[in-house]
Amino acid sequence: MKSRGKVWAWFFIILGVLYFFLPLLATFIFSLKAKLGVLSFQSYINVFNDPKFIRSFTASLLWASLTIIVGIVLFVPTAFWVRLKVPKARTAVEFITLIPFVVPAIVYVFGLVRTYSHPPLLIVNSPLLLVSAYTILAMPYLYRAVDIGLRSIDVRTLTEAAQSLGAGWFTILFRIILPNIRVAILNGAFLAFAIVMGEYILAQYLAKPAFAPYMAVLIQNRAYEPAALAVLSFALTWACMGIITLVGRGSGQAQVGGGH
Amino acid sequence: MQTSKVAFKIITLVLIVTFILSGCATATTVAPVAPAATTAPVVAPSTSGTSVKDIPQSLIDACKTEGMVTIIATPANWANYGEIFKLFEDTSGVKINSLDENAGSADELAAIEANKGNTGPQAPDIVDVGYAYGKTGIDKGLYQPYKVSTWDKIPDTLLGIPAKDPAGNWTGGYYGVLAMETNKAAVQNPPTNWSDLLKPEYKGQVALTGDPRTSNQAIQSVFAAALANGGSLDNAQPGLDFFNQLNAAGNFVPVIAKAGTIAQGATPIVLAWDYLAFGDKDTFAGNPDLEVSYPSPTIASMYIQAISAYAPHPNCAKVWMEILHSDEGQLAWMKGYAHGVQQADLEARGLIPADLAAKLPASSAFASAVAPSPDQLSAAKKLITEGWMTTVGVDIPTPAP
Amino acid sequence: MARPARPKFSWAWLGVMPFFLFTFLFLLYPSSTIVIRSFQDSETGKFTLQNILALFKSPYIIGAYWISIKISLITSLGGALFGFLLAYSAIRGNMPRFIRVSLLTFCGVASNFAGVPLAFAFIALLSPTGLLIGWMKLFGFNPYFHGFTLYTFWGLSLVYMYFQFPLMVLIIAPAIDGLRREWQEASENLGASSTQYWRHVAFPILLPSLMGTTILLFGNAFGAFATAQALTGGQINLVTIVIGSELRGDVLGNQGVGYALALGMVVIMALAIAGYTILQRRTERWLR
Repeated sequence: MKSRGKVWAWFFIILGVLYFFLPLLATFIFSLKAKLGVLSFQSYINVFNDPKFIRSFTASLLWASLTIIVGIVLFVPTAFWVRLKVPKARTAVEFITLIPFVVPAIVYVFGLVRTYSHPPLLIVNSPLLLVSAYTILAMPYLYRAVDIGLRSIDVRTLTEAAQSLGAGWFTILFRIILPNIRVAILNGAFLAFAIVMGEYILAQYLAKPAFAPYMAVLIQNRAYEPAALAVLSFALTWACMGIITLVGRGSGQAQVGGGH
Repeated sequence: MQTSKVAFKIITLVLIVTFILSGCATATTVAPVAPAATTAPVVAPSTSGTSVKDIPQSLIDACKTEGMVTIIATPANWANYGEIFKLFEDTSGVKINSLDENAGSADELAAIEANKGNTGPQAPDIVDVGYAYGKTGIDKGLYQPYKVSTWDKIPDTLLGIPAKDPAGNWTGGYYGVLAMETNKAAVQNPPTNWSDLLKPEYKGQVALTGDPRTSNQAIQSVFAAALANGGSLDNAQPGLDFFNQLNAAGNFVPVIAKAGTIAQGATPIVLAWDYLAFGDKDTFAGNPDLEVSYPSPTIASMYIQAISAYAPHPNCAKVWMEILHSDEGQLAWMKGYAHGVQQADLEARGLIPADLAAKLPASSAFASAVAPSPDQLSAAKKLITEGWMTTVGVDIPTPAP
Repeated sequence: MARPARPKFSWAWLGVMPFFLFTFLFLLYPSSTIVIRSFQDSETGKFTLQNILALFKSPYIIGAYWISIKISLITSLGGALFGFLLAYSAIRGNMPRFIRVSLLTFCGVASNFAGVPLAFAFIALLSPTGLLIGWMKLFGFNPYFHGFTLYTFWGLSLVYMYFQFPLMVLIIAPAIDGLRREWQEASENLGASSTQYWRHVAFPILLPSLMGTTILLFGNAFGAFATAQALTGGQINLVTIVIGSELRGDVLGNQGVGYALALGMVVIMALAIAGYTILQRRTERWLR
C-alpha cells in the first residue's frame, strides 16, 4: 500500500514539474531567437549591458529585504497574540489582511501620496513609506503563512510551559515560537519577496527605483529581451531564495512540545 | 541557543546585503548635474527664433535653479522621445525624472491631482495625453497656460480639429495615423486594407494593441473600422459590427499585442499607430521582417502636451515645451515617424533633411486620415466600451429578447 | 467590591494595537477614497448614489462580477486541491530531500510570476505558433483545428494556476509538517485504513488550514487582472479590468463608477470572510 502511495506522489510531482517547467522552456527558447536564424544569447548580452537592469534589480532587492523584516516584526507577534489572547479580534484582523487584494494599486498609491505629501506627515519621499506600503501588499500572504504556522504547533502549551519557567513575552516570541514556525515564516518571506520584486505601481508613483517598471518598458518595445529578462529574474530570484533557505536552515520538522 | 544563532545569521545577512545594496541604490539617485553651457547664451530670439538655441537663457537659468523636471507616461522609444530627452539635458543640464512610462492619460491627470501641494519628485510637471484630455484637464483646473515662442508656427487646426488651445492651456505636439503592422515571417501575404482582414487566410492572426475599453489605440482601431464600413465620425457602430464579423470568422485573436507577441507570431497582424509600427520595424531590424501599410480610410489621433497647474518645476516644464516646439524637437519626433504639428512649416522652410524625408511615408499614403473631435471621441468611446463585450466577449449574460 | 472583569480584557487588546495602527495609517486611511468617491459624482463632486446604482443596472457589470467570482472560485478550489497534493507528495511522499527544498523555493518565485510575462510564457507554449503545439504538429495533430484555443475562460484559469498552486504549496507546507507521523502510525496500529485515517484524522486537523489558504487563493485571483488582460485582452470581463477602464483609461472613464466597483469588491471580500468564518467556527469546534 505504501508503494502505491509513492507512485501517486511521483505522479503529482512529475505533473507539477511539467506544468511549471514547460512555459519557462518556451520562454527560454524564444529568448534565444534574438539573432535571425540562429540560436544565441544575444538578448541576454543586451540585458546585461544595460546598466539599468542591475540598478533596478538591486533596488527592488533592497525593498524586498526591508519589507520582510518589517513584516515579520509586525505580523508574528500580532498573529500570536490574536491566537492566544484576543481570539475575538480574529475576524477583523483577517478581513483587514485580505483588503489589499481588493484595493486597486493605483487608488492606493494616490491615497498614500495625498495623505503623506503634506506636513506634519511629510514622508512621501521617504523609503519608509514605500517599505510600509510593500508590507501592506505582502500582508495577506505573510500573515496567513504565520497564522497557519502557528496553527500547526501547540501554541498554548508552549507558551504556558515557557511562562511556567519564567520566560517573558519577548523570550517566548522570539526564542520559542519563532524557531518553531521557521518554515512558515520562510515561505511567507519567499512570497513577500516575490511580490515586492514584481510590484510596479507603488514604486513608480512614489518615484523610487524598482525592477518591474524597467521590465514593463522593455516589454513594450523589445521582442526578445523581455523573455531573457523573465528567465534571468526567475533564476536570480530562485537563487536568492535558495540562499535564504540555506541561511535559515534547520530540519523541516519543528520541535514542538509533546513530541518528546 | 540554536534559534538566536539562526536569527542572528539571517539578520546579519540581511543587514550586509542591505548595506551593500544601499550603496548601489543610492548610486541611482543622481544629483543635478552641474550645467555645462553647450550653446552661447542668447537673450533675444534670433530672426527665425525656432531653434533650441533660441530659448531665452533666463528661462534656462530659472530651470537650472529648479534642478529637475518630472515627466510621466513618456517612454524614450515612443516617437523618438529619447532624442528630445537628450535635447533637454544638453540645453539645460537638468536631470529628467520619468514616472510610469506605461501610464494612461487618466493616470497622468490623477497624478497631478493627487500631488497638489507636493513639490517632491512624485508630482508631474508636464503631461503628454490623448486629445480627449485637453478639455478634461482644463475643466478640472489641472493645466497652466503657456504659449511657446513658436506659437504662431503651430497651425490653428490640423486634420479638422484644433491643434492648440486658444488660451494656451494645452498644445498639440504630434499625431499618429492608424496603420497595419504585419510580421512577414508569419504572414506570407500581408493584408493591405480592412476587407482583407476578413479573409480566411488570416485566421487567428488579427490583434489590437490594447483593450478597447481602456486603450486609446484600441478604441481608435474600432472607430477606424467604422469609417471603412459605412460609419462616420459620428457613428462608430459599424466598427463594432466589423469586429463582430472578424471575431465570428475566427480571425480575431484577443491577446494584447506587444513587441514579443508580434515577433513570436501569436499576434502577427496588428492595428497600431504608424510611428509605433515603424519604430517596431526599426527595432526588430529584420528579425522578423515587418511590413507597415495604411488602410484606407484611416484615423489620426493627436497627442497634446500641457504644463501642470501645480508643477513644482514650472520653468523646466516651459523649457521642455519650448524644445518640443523647436525645429529640433519637431524633427526628433519626425525621426520617430510621428507627424509633428509643425511639419508643414518645416517643409516650407526646407528644414527637413533629405534622408529623413526619404524615410518617411509619403503623405499620400494616409491622405484618407481624419481626426475626431473630443465630442465625437467621447460618443464613440461610450458606444465601443459598452458594446465591445457583446460584440466579441465571452460569458456575458445575454439580455432576454 | 463587585468590579466587572473588564480591565483584563482591554489590556490584551493592546497587543494588537500596533497592527491596527499600522494598517490604519498605511492601508485603511489612504484607501478610504474608495468609499468616499463611490458616493461622489465624478463631474460635480456632489453626493450621489448613482455610482452604486450603476453597478446593479448594467448587465455588463453584473456579468463582470460573476466572471471574477467564478474564476476566483475555480482557481482557488482547483489550486488548493492540486497544490495540496503536490505539497503532500513532496513532503510526505518519501521523496529525496532536495525535491522538497527545490519545490518550495521554486514555488516562492512562481507564485508571483504573473502578468504579462506569465501570459507570454503560456502564449509561447500554447499559442498556434507555440512550442507545445509545434511538437504536436510534428505528430500531425493540431489542436487548434479541433477547436482548442488558449484564449478562453478555461485557458485563463489554466494560466492562473501558475500562481495559485505555488501559493498553496508554500502556505500549507507547515500544516503538513505539523501532521505527525506518529498519528498515522497510531491509526494504522488501531486497524484504520488509509482512507479512514484521512477522513477521521488528517483531514479534520488540516481543514482549518486548508480553508484559510483557500480564501487566500480566492483573494489572490479576485484581485488579479494583469494576466487576464494580457492574455485575453477585452474578451474576458473581469471586475478588475472594468475598474481599470474606468479609472485608468486612455479615453475618458467614469471615475465614480470605478470607485463603486472597487467598493463592491470590498463588500464581496467581506462576504467571503463572513462565510469562511462561519465554516471555520464549525470545523474548529472539536479541535478546541
